[in-house]
Amino acid sequence: MAQVVLKDVVKNYGGVYAVNHVSLTVEDGEFVALVGPSGCGKTTTLNLVAGLIPMSGGTITIGDRDVTDLDPKDRDIAMVFQNYALYPQKSVYRNLAFPLQMRKMDKAEIDRRVQAAAKTLDITHLLERKPRELSGGQQQRVALGRALVREPRAFLMDEPLSNLDAKLRVQMRSEIKRFHQDLGATIIYVTHDQLEAVTMSDKMAVMNGGFLQQYDSPANVFANPVNMFVASFVGSPAMSLVPLTAVSKGTDVVLASPEGWEMPLSDANGRKALSAKSNKVVLGGRHSTIQVHKAQVPGSVPGKVYTVEPTGDVTFAQVFVSGAVVNVSVAPSFQLRPDEPVFLEFDQNRMHLFDAETEMALTL
Amino acid sequence: MWNSRTDYLYVAPAIFVMLIVIGYPIYYTIELSFFNTPASLSLADKTFNGLDNYVTILTSPIFWKVTWQTVVWTTLSTFFAFVLGLGAALALNREFAGRGFLRGLLLIPWVVSAVAASYVWKWLYHSDFGVIGALMVQFGLTDHPINFIDNTTTSLYALIVVNVWKEFSFAMIMLMAGLQTVPDSLLRAAQVDGASAWQRFWHVTFPHLAGVSTVTVLLLAVQNFNSFIIPWVMTSGGPAGSSDIWITHIYQIAFGRQRWGVGAAYAVILFIVMMVLGYFYVRALTKGDESRAGA
Repeated sequence: MAQVVLKDVVKNYGGVYAVNHVSLTVEDGEFVALVGPSGCGKTTTLNLVAGLIPMSGGTITIGDRDVTDLDPKDRDIAMVFQNYALYPQKSVYRNLAFPLQMRKMDKAEIDRRVQAAAKTLDITHLLERKPRELSGGQQQRVALGRALVREPRAFLMDEPLSNLDAKLRVQMRSEIKRFHQDLGATIIYVTHDQLEAVTMSDKMAVMNGGFLQQYDSPANVFANPVNMFVASFVGSPAMSLVPLTAVSKGTDVVLASPEGWEMPLSDANGRKALSAKSNKVVLGGRHSTIQVHKAQVPGSVPGKVYTVEPTGDVTFAQVFVSGAVVNVSVAPSFQLRPDEPVFLEFDQNRMHLFDAETEMALTL
Repeated sequence: MWNSRTDYLYVAPAIFVMLIVIGYPIYYTIELSFFNTPASLSLADKTFNGLDNYVTILTSPIFWKVTWQTVVWTTLSTFFAFVLGLGAALALNREFAGRGFLRGLLLIPWVVSAVAASYVWKWLYHSDFGVIGALMVQFGLTDHPINFIDNTTTSLYALIVVNVWKEFSFAMIMLMAGLQTVPDSLLRAAQVDGASAWQRFWHVTFPHLAGVSTVTVLLLAVQNFNSFIIPWVMTSGGPAGSSDIWITHIYQIAFGRQRWGVGAAYAVILFIVMMVLGYFYVRALTKGDESRAGA
């Protein structure tokens, strides 16, 4: 296994930048998730690392080798595809053996490696079958096996779970995580599902519009999103964002709404709010940090219930606050009705403030 | 079972029409093949002669000569049309400037009328005025233009060239459609697995084309077996029967020499051969359905 370093990587098609000066380092044995919405450049980035498409600029090193100009086969990487990409006319055994045959390995060694990989992934009993005779989960395991036999320096996975049904996806998620832990493999994993990224990865690289937005551990990305995009992309339900105005009142700072209500800020939050370029500030809050009250309490802001979604353990609700939708959660015993007026209390220590102009998080 | 009865009701008009325009001619041809017929259209005077017509055909040396020529014609035409079509399809499967134009250009043989094309090729081959002969002389390949189609050793092959030219576009279109269904991720997987361009073709693309290739080859084979226009317009089976194939031969026997009975018997033999080819064609077409239905 090896470290993978992307330095100032660019891929442009004419004037359109699919990948815009992305730099990131994947440490040896690390599981990194590239995550973002469709068209954010995550798959293109992965294909650049694989060498499947030519780069427009920058360098990529795998281990101590600069692979920028090498063919995919010389980069010593293995790839797992969304639709498994198994050779349909070959048996599972031959699928696993194929990358080794292409490397002119001798038969005994091929057999040893195929059997070992099959044992690791518990597919020994499937070796004589054809891919079409396997279930989706089994096919995905064979695809992992074909990557595994190579003993590559890094695994590249392109949405490997998207073709599976919901239940199987959760199961394979833990299997891939286990696979990573057992092998200490360096894995770059592309997904559009932030939940997969959060649950599986050591670090997540959030991308949008070809730019790398934030590269950090899932916990840090969740707790300290650098901008409004990351804040609204990571977490389910998404962080709610309410555009307001920061106003100084003597020594205190409040957030004022166009409707006329005001929300006092703590000292620290007040200083953050005043550091914005203009006085336009966006208030961000995750559902778990917002308390719902039926009557006004100090510091709470008025809203109106829009929808109520009971899930059993917890009831989610969407509340209109100053024209924005705020996701909140309450205990199932807490009765809420659509159109009911409520008051929301944001936790001063866990709220987020963003500069409305730059969309960047305000920090001290 | 009421349902299946109404099903029959719905297809009844189609079956009725097919019985008249397909079923009856087949029956009449088979019937005629057991009769000795006068060389006129007064077929009421026909006399039953059992299997005599078949014996005549199968013991005649011409039958075996024409059969051999038909096999050569069908095999070579099908093989080269397929190989050329595959090459063209692979070439056109890549992105390059002028691809659309070239694709249109290569489709021309398929859309041109076979009769018109045959006349054009007759002129191209012409021993006095032909472009091909002139070019060969120009390049010093020969002293005087070769007579391709009025020559018993070359006529069949000259016709095969025309036929391949006419048909390869069809194979090209079929295989281009097939190539578009080769999953990109499979080719990429093979690339990462270390396969060269040739190995990717051999291990991914070609197996993926197996189904469409089988259908294309069988369709070409059936079509070539039944060829009439090109050989008839260009040589009418000549010279000295050297480019005769079954269909042109049957046509000559039936409509040229008015030996209806023998012609009918010939047609029946051809019909049996075609049914065998047809059986494999239908099986190749429905093979995928069964494996899907069984899955």
